[in-house]
This record gives sequence, structure tokens and C-alpha cells, in this order.
Amino acid sequence: MSGDGKKWVGKAVPRKEEERLLRGLGKFADDIKLGETLYLRFVRSPYAHAKIVTIDTSRAEAIAGVVCTLTGSEIASKTQPFIQIAPDAGGKIRDFPMAVSRVRYQGEPVAAVVAVSPRITDDGAEVVQVEYEALDPVVDAEQALTDASILHDEAGTNRVWSGVFEYGDVEKAFREAASVVEIDRMHFHRFSSTPLENNVVIGQWDSKDDRIYYWCNNSFPSFAIQFLAAHLGVHIDRIRVQTFDIGGSFGIKITSYPQMAVCALASKKAGGRPIKWVETRSEHMTSSAHGNERTFRDTRVAVDKNGVITAITSRHIDDCGAYPRYEPLGCVIWSQVFPGVYRFKNARIEFSQGVTNKCPVGPNRGYSRMQHLWFLERVVDICAHELGIPADEMRLRNYIRPEEFPYTTPNGCIYDSGNYPKMLELAKNLIGWDSWKKKQSDRRKEGRMIGIGIGTTLDSGTNNFGQSQIVNPGAPFSGNSQGANCKLDIYGEVVVAVGSCPQGQGHETTAAQVVADVLNISPDLITVRTGFDTERNVHTGFSGTYASQFAVSGLSAVHGAAQKLKAEMTKLGAFVLESRLEEIEFGVGAQGPELRSKANGKSINYWGLANIVNVNSAVLPPELYDVTLNCRYIWRAPFKVPDTKKKYGNLTMTYASQLHIAVVEIDPETFIPKLLDYVAVDDCGTVINPPIVEGQVYGATAHGIGAALLENCVYDAVGNMLTSTFSDYIPITAVNIPNIKYGHIETPSPHSYSGAKGMGEGGAAPIHTISAALQDALFEKGVFIEDSFNNADSLFRALKGEIGRAADLVKVERRA
Amino acid sequence: MAIKFAGSFEVQRTPEEVYDFLTDPNKFAPLLPDFRGLTVHDAQHFTVKVNVGISYIKGIADVKMQLLEATRPTRAEYRGQGSVAGGNVSMVAGFNLAPSGQGTKVAWEGDAQVFGRLTSVAGGLLEPLGKKQVQKLIDGLQAALNGASGGAR
Repeated sequence: MSGDGKKWVGKAVPRKEEERLLRGLGKFADDIKLGETLYLRFVRSPYAHAKIVTIDTSRAEAIAGVVCTLTGSEIASKTQPFIQIAPDAGGKIRDFPMAVSRVRYQGEPVAAVVAVSPRITDDGAEVVQVEYEALDPVVDAEQALTDASILHDEAGTNRVWSGVFEYGDVEKAFREAASVVEIDRMHFHRFSSTPLENNVVIGQWDSKDDRIYYWCNNSFPSFAIQFLAAHLGVHIDRIRVQTFDIGGSFGIKITSYPQMAVCALASKKAGGRPIKWVETRSEHMTSSAHGNERTFRDTRVAVDKNGVITAITSRHIDDCGAYPRYEPLGCVIWSQVFPGVYRFKNARIEFSQGVTNKCPVGPNRGYSRMQHLWFLERVVDICAHELGIPADEMRLRNYIRPEEFPYTTPNGCIYDSGNYPKMLELAKNLIGWDSWKKKQSDRRKEGRMIGIGIGTTLDSGTNNFGQSQIVNPGAPFSGNSQGANCKLDIYGEVVVAVGSCPQGQGHETTAAQVVADVLNISPDLITVRTGFDTERNVHTGFSGTYASQFAVSGLSAVHGAAQKLKAEMTKLGAFVLESRLEEIEFGVGAQGPELRSKANGKSINYWGLANIVNVNSAVLPPELYDVTLNCRYIWRAPFKVPDTKKKYGNLTMTYASQLHIAVVEIDPETFIPKLLDYVAVDDCGTVINPPIVEGQVYGATAHGIGAALLENCVYDAVGNMLTSTFSDYIPITAVNIPNIKYGHIETPSPHSYSGAKGMGEGGAAPIHTISAALQDALFEKGVFIEDSFNNADSLFRALKGEIGRAADLVKVERRA
Repeated sequence: MAIKFAGSFEVQRTPEEVYDFLTDPNKFAPLLPDFRGLTVHDAQHFTVKVNVGISYIKGIADVKMQLLEATRPTRAEYRGQGSVAGGNVSMVAGFNLAPSGQGTKVAWEGDAQVFGRLTSVAGGLLEPLGKKQVQKLIDGLQAALNGASGGAR
């Protein structure tokens, strides 16, 4: 690690954020109070698909306190449609922040009311009259791809993107297979995230300087401002975005830029007054963003005589909701983990994505990869059951072996490190595998339905944005970078600024740990400024918090900035202390952090150094004029642009892995699945702060359990979202979380300076694990777990034979 | 969310009398459950105000009605569209009239679509509530028609 010690990295340093957040002293976007603030409320469509015949806002405008209203057509007359990432037809979609002439999902904004108080906006929104003419809705992506009813006339098709990912010799593998397993259909359900804090935007288009100011909780602001600048027709430097403490995002807050646009436009119309929009929970559920729903069709799996999978072919259909927005990036991001943790080399995946009359999707906890990893885990798991191979043995036969790392996948991704057999062994020990196997056998004799499931998964971190060129060769993105600044303030305080937007990941603490090791001081002596602020000038076009990357990209930038600062301090210290560079030591003395000379024993504290550069500069010789003690560093990931024709290249820097085991019992009377035992083993390379890592493992596990058993965005045939409140969409709480046994191993990454890997999303391991456990419980009853969501109702229906009939969905051809 | 209704009844009135009753908003509309008021726009269009209450969701709905099909004395069909708290309702209701003895057999069918958050917050209640309200309408219609001829049967 470039000469810095490891006194603090790897230690259980208490979180610097804890004091503030646990005492309710955090500062969130809604805490921002600005003079003359106005409030905004959206009027939203009850229809999933309809023409807007008329909108009459006059009654709202007549209410005392209502300042103005906005409609989609007014916005369309003043702005450009949002940039589309898709090429061809998908790229022609005209997306505005409010519906212009047609609504395409229930909850889509059609008008906005701006007033002096939130209550008056509510009154105004109630009396906006909108006349609709209902159109045929499309709520299924497979149906959407038939183009029987087209959502976006300008595109001429509902197909946003399609492509074939083919590697190796698939036909040969199938010719030589000892067994071929065919699976007709699997389905990964639609769910979202339920952060404690919903979306909040305060936007001001200040007429005095013609700049747009945002105070908000968007979690990828550098992406948002690129979309906003083009949409609003302003230079990007005219937009300032600040974020603060953020009460959870899980990716969902990446796509709040449409609401940010409306707030700016409303502010301009209202004479430059700040406009505050605070999303309600129901709005969040119906209209913010959902995770991608995906259907897997016609899967074929070639297996050799040893139970080793040699090839997979399948058709994947992704549902991106009404507008692509961040899509079709999800059409390629899954391929970061193309073979999962398995060794098969031959595969052909035909991937398509369609728009439907449902809430647009957005990145969500393990974005795009978890759908694919769930698919692979189901494939491996059902092959094991059908071929009579024990679940643990099947994994061991197919895992990438520890000695094969760094491992190049069939599509050119380079897995940095890992040891999946060791994780399996640890997880089995922690859960008491043999004991549970015996209990399972005994209890099955009593008619009880108990299953034990394994889920092995990956959390790929630090994207190569060049993968966007695989979906659109004209996309102007590649690589990845992150910025940080490290300085000595005038009074000698070490201040670190980063371009991330932490939502509980402990960036303040881990950044301080890294700098503390570089400067050989305590993290307590370091102030870390987190939260995005364009004016800090530490962001790049990739800055934000998403895709499990801070440990690599963010901390590499922090480390680089700290090293630059250290070099400048050393240079200045050598001058002041009349010593050579190599004689300068960093440490803490009687007057705080200081530099000492090993040669003559002289020392100077940080205040003295900072004083010289900042307010006493006449003492500096010209050769030290380049010393600023204010060091900005941009870290760049060493990526290349992938081969877009072959869809080949390294798409991610690090691959954290998770191995979970669950024991599940299905109540024979109520069909409620209950977790009897649960183990989560994690490998994120070198651990920077163990309690933070452990906390993120618990969080990701809780979310995955919620997704597997409780959370489901259900739409009816006409596009009504039937689960728009917490009565029906049940977020995970402490009540539903079992005692999780945690374990970890460390396989340091050779791709990051510290050996750490990005982590936190957890690869949605519980979804795969619980599906496998339910499969184990119900295999002998002829049930195939075909869906990623399983609750009492679906298990009841499966046991009645209404869904998931293995005889209909799974076929095995044995040739040996 | 789609809700379908159908049924039939007989009244001691001629098909012409039943048809005239059904196609006269001033007679027909007040039979709607929780009727509050009526505005007749022309021979085919009228707006009915009704009270709506589903659990804790309460309000007044303006339902725009259109006489879509009027074939005297065999068929009348209405289309309606209304906004209620948290949702919109679209419906089509048809009445087929046929002589039956000295009276008329009225065969009716309806198809309602509910849109919006109402389906989420009150989804489970909508179908039974809708059927109850339709039954009230039919009972009222039957009573009114029979009453006009001298009493319900």
C-alpha cells in the first residue's frame, strides 16, 4: 500500500457517523429550510395507459396560495426530451418528466401544483380536472414484445433492446452432454426498495445568476446533472447539486432526475423561488422506480457424466416499465457475472427488453446481476435435484476453483479472487449442515416440509461504463473514475472531500481510516466531507454511490489524494526542518499531528505547515510555490473499451462473493414459509472496517429475505398496482429477520490498492438461497420453484398444482 | 380491476314503458345508490353526483353518463365514467328487453373497470361493494317499475 502503514485499515474503528445519525442529528434534504420556499405536489394518472384528452388546472389556480401549475405539454414546449441510452428504436422514445399527451403507467405525473404550503398543494391537486381516454394496457413484457399495443409511437415498437450473448461451442457441448435439462419458464419478480427517507428535491432556478440549485437526496448526481443539463438546455456548470445524509437509496434514488427537472422548471415559473417536493410513501411505491422484472424462457442445460454443467442456452426477457431511463444498461450489466461462480464455458443468452405500462425500473440492490444470478442458481439447483446430486456436491463440482483466479470468464470479465469451496465449508460448519440434514430426514417422516438451500453469488463492484457501448456503440461512456480532495486547512485540520453520497455505508469512517494510515495519525483527527457537492470539485462523471464501488473507486481516490498531500507535506517539512525528504517522519506530538526530522529532532505541527502555505507564504522559496497542501486526485480504473461486436471485455474490477445457507419450513396449515436457520458468509477481500462490513451483510441479507418472501409489486391486468401501500407490500423489519449467523473469509483483490472489493449489495443471495431451500422442501411433491417470490399464497397454489408443476416445466433427457 | 355483473328480472310493464323509463335520466338516475344530484346535458348525456364510501375513503363522485345505444323498445346501453377518491371507474351497462307474458323480461349486464390507487387500498372490498350497489340499483329499478304498475312483485 505505497508505504503507508496498516494501523487503522482493517480495524473496528467506531463509525464517525454514528453519533450524529443515532441521536437524530443527521441532516437530510427535508431538513433544509430556505426562505420563500414553495411546495409542489404532482397530480398522477390513475390509468396505466390512456390518452390525455384535456387538463384543466383553472380551479387549482383559483385557490388562494396556489402560485402556479405545470403540465406535461408546457414542459415539453420548453425542454428537450431526456437523453436515451438505447440505440435505434429505443433511442427514439421521447421521455419528459410529466406525461405530455399520453400516460403510460399508473402514477405517472400529468400536472404539478405549486403553492405556499403543502396542504394547499394537496387542495390544488384535488381539483385539477384531467379527462382520459383509456387505452389497452400492456403489463407483461413477453406480450409487449409482440407489439400488439405500442406504448411509444415514435419508437414504433416496444422492444427497447435485444442482442445475443454467445460464447464457446454450445452445439458441441450439447452433442456431448450426458444429460440435458430443459426448463420452460422461470420468472424473477418485480420489487423495489423502501428507504426510510423517500425522494426529496428542493430546486431553485435563481433568476439573479441564472443558475439552478438543488438540495436533494439523489444518489448518483453526476449522472443526473448530465441528463438535466441536456433536458433543460443549460450548461452543466450552471447546475449545482448538494446532497446530505441520505436515509437509504439502494439504487432507487438514482432516477429522481425527472422530479428534479420539474422542481427547477416550477421555480423558474414561480419567479425563482425554491420549490420543495417531498415524495409520499405511496408515490414512492407506485412511481419512483422498481427493480427489473425478468422472465427466463426455454432454458437448456448440458451436463456431463460427472454432473458438471458444460453449456446453458436461454432466452431472457426484461421488463423495464414505461420508460427506459437508466435502461437499457441492465441489458448488459447482468453479463458482469455471466457464469456466476461456475466454470461452464459455453453459453448462448438471447436477451430482450421491452417497455410495459408499469412503473419505470431503476437500479435496485444488485441491479440486473441478481436476476441473472438467481437464474443461474435455479439452474444449478434444479439440475442437482433432477440428477440426484446433493446440493453441496453439485456446487463443488461446478465452482470456479481457487487456483484458477484471476479467472477470465467466457465473456472476458476477470474475476479477481475468491474461494467458493472454502466459503461453502465455513457456511456448512456454521449452520451445522449434517445436523440439519438429519433433522430434515427425521421431520420429513412426520410429514413436515423442510428444505435446506444453498445460494452462492457475486457482488461485482466498480463498473466499466464501456459496457454501455455493448448496448449502444455510440454511447459516450467508458471506464470509471472517482475524485477526492485532501487538504490541510489554514489551522492545520486534515479535511477530506469525496464525491460520494453515502446512505449508511460509513464512508466518513473508512475514508478517515485510509488517510489516517497514510499520515500516521488517528482517524479522529480527520474530518471527512461526504455528500455530493458540485462546487467541491471532487466529482467526476461517475461520482455518486452505487454499484458497490466506494471501497475501490472512492477509497482509491482518497488514498491518492492523501498520498499527494503527504508528498507535499514532506517537501515542505524538509524545507522547514532543514532535513532531507527521507528524514521526515509523520506522527502525533505534544502539539498534535506533526512532522519530525529523524536527523535533527526538530518538528513542526500541521498548523505550522498550513500557516506557511496559506497565510505566511512570503517565507516560501520559489521552488515550493507548487505546494498547496490542497490536493485533488482523480482515480481512474484501468479499463479498456470492450469489444462491442463480440460482447467481450472486462466489465468490473472486483468480485465480492457471498454464500448463504437457509433452512426453511413450510407450515402445512397456513403454508407460511418460516426460516429456521440462516447463515451468511461473505468475502469482500481485505476488510477495511469489520463492523461496517458485517452491518452491510446483515442489511443486504435482510433485504434479500424481504424480496424473497414479502415484497412483490403486483399489477392487475389493466395496470393497477395492487401493492402500493405497506398493507400489501411488506417491507422487511426486525420482526421478520431470523438470527443470522455471520462468517467471512478474505481473498484480497489484486485489482485494488488495498485488496478490498466493493460490497454491500450482497448479490441478493437470500433470494437464490430461499428459492433453493423451498425447492428442497417441495421437490418430492412435484413442485418446481419457478418464481423468485414465494409467499404462503404462492406455495399453497404450488402444492395444489396450480403453478410450478415440475412435470410441465422441467424435462430431463438422460443419454448415458 | 374488472368487475362483471349480470342478471334479469321481470316487471308488469310493456317493453316500451320499461324502455322509456330506463332512457329517461330524470327517472333512472335517482335510482342510483347514494344519489345526490343530476345534470342533464342533452338527450344522450347527463352527469350524476353520487356519494361514495369505501371503508375510510369517502367522497362525492361525478359520474358522466352517455346513452350509447337506444333501440326502442329492445335495448338501452349506458357508458359511464367517474372519478372517486384515489381512482377512476369506467363502466358499461346494458339492458335487453323482451316481452314476457303481460310484462317484460329485463336482462341486464354490466362491466366495470376500476383504475387507480383505490384498487390497492380498497381492492378486496370493491367487488362485493360493487355487486351490492348494483343489486340496490336493480332492486330500485324493479320496485319503481312495478310500483308504477301498482306494486312490486
